[in-house]
Amino acid sequence: MREIVLGVKGAIELLLSFDQEIYQIIFLSLYVSLTSTFLSTLLAIPAGIFLGLFHFRGKGIVVRLLYTMMSLPPVIAGLVVFLFISRKGPLGFLGLSFTPTAMIIAQICLITPIITGLVYNGTKDKGQHVKMLGKTLGANRFQTLILLICELRLNIFTAVITGYGRAVSEVGAVMIVGGNIKGRTRVMTTAIAMLQNMGDYSKAIAIGIVLLFLSFIINGVLYHFQQGE
Amino acid sequence: MEIRIQNLNKEYEGHRVVDIDSLTVRQGELLGIIGPNGAGKSTLLRMIGGLETPTQGEISYNGKAYCSEISQKMTMVFQKPYLLRTTVFQNVAYPLKIRKKNKKFIQEEVHRILDEMGLTAQKYQKSWTLSGGEAQKVALARALILKPSLLILDEPTANIDPSSIAVMEKMIKKINEEEGTTVIIVTHNLQQARRLCKEIAFMYRGKIKEKGDARRILYHAQEPETSAFIQGELLI
Repeated sequence: MREIVLGVKGAIELLLSFDQEIYQIIFLSLYVSLTSTFLSTLLAIPAGIFLGLFHFRGKGIVVRLLYTMMSLPPVIAGLVVFLFISRKGPLGFLGLSFTPTAMIIAQICLITPIITGLVYNGTKDKGQHVKMLGKTLGANRFQTLILLICELRLNIFTAVITGYGRAVSEVGAVMIVGGNIKGRTRVMTTAIAMLQNMGDYSKAIAIGIVLLFLSFIINGVLYHFQQGE
Repeated sequence: MEIRIQNLNKEYEGHRVVDIDSLTVRQGELLGIIGPNGAGKSTLLRMIGGLETPTQGEISYNGKAYCSEISQKMTMVFQKPYLLRTTVFQNVAYPLKIRKKNKKFIQEEVHRILDEMGLTAQKYQKSWTLSGGEAQKVALARALILKPSLLILDEPTANIDPSSIAVMEKMIKKINEEEGTTVIIVTHNLQQARRLCKEIAFMYRGKIKEKGDARRILYHAQEPETSAFIQGELLI
């Protein structure tokens, strides 16, 4: 218990002293997670809507694969991305190993299926109703698509927030592809794991507090949005 | 809008649910379609509304095949309407917005129709907080604001209270009489069919068994199935 109290006290002091290393870690984490969430959203929303609206051969298998990918263990995502971008891998010539870009790619692999799956479920529920409504009110295809996106706004927002939550709190994949290099690829989660090993609980708790605070903010926004709806 | 149907049929997995040789709904007609469950009434409406493609046959609208120009002039209201997740006002305004009408016109039209339907108090209410009857009235208001040439109604007043039904019937009659809108309504309520419709068609096992003046069909039906249905007898 004493360790925890001292840790919290030290964490507050660290945060208030604007420790450069801590803030660098926080900003890199935000950069990597926000970028991966943004790019995943661009991929996942059209994919989820397409899956929810259209029928095609093999759709059942695609959906089952999607659900499987939603629970993809981060270390596997990290390992696969690592094998692709490592020096001997097919994309080794790009020199992405142990860079924030590699971490973004790993997180995209991890959260795109989550966002796609959640958007797909929303589209499955509302898609046909909206399509039919659009048609009966004389909306063209583009207007119907816009209408559907508007109707799915809560589902999309929840999906994006869930994806971001997964990205920012993920440790296995970014550890493998990023390597937790000080000043280059160290993010909050990998830093906490390392500091815990080193017994530096103050810094670990400081970063943990920021991580929790970010999570609180995100969930607060989501709650506010849901209440408004 | 005049609707002509020729040799129309619809099959699902080899089972024929609609099989109509010929049916004409004249411009400005208010046609009620009655018949037991599973007779193919809703499927027929969905085909007329362009929501389903016939297996065979033709439907013409003022002599033309279904196209985007025709779809702009018709609309449908279902038994369970889908309202947009927004306010009543925005729901009713939506068809005018996508037709790029100006703001002032939209405001005036929405206020007018909400007033006529007794929905002014619910104007800024979110759609998911409405009662079943209110939701149906909003769906009808959203359809009527277009002043369509063809209005297709699939049991629009099922499970709602008599006062809401009265308001809806008044509005349906009004658009039919004042705008010359052709109205096709499926109803299980024979009293409603008598109050509203000029003509009634009785549908049974996918076919139009009888069509004619509403009073004649309701009181002097020629086909035994029609009489049996109207008298509440079991149809097998």
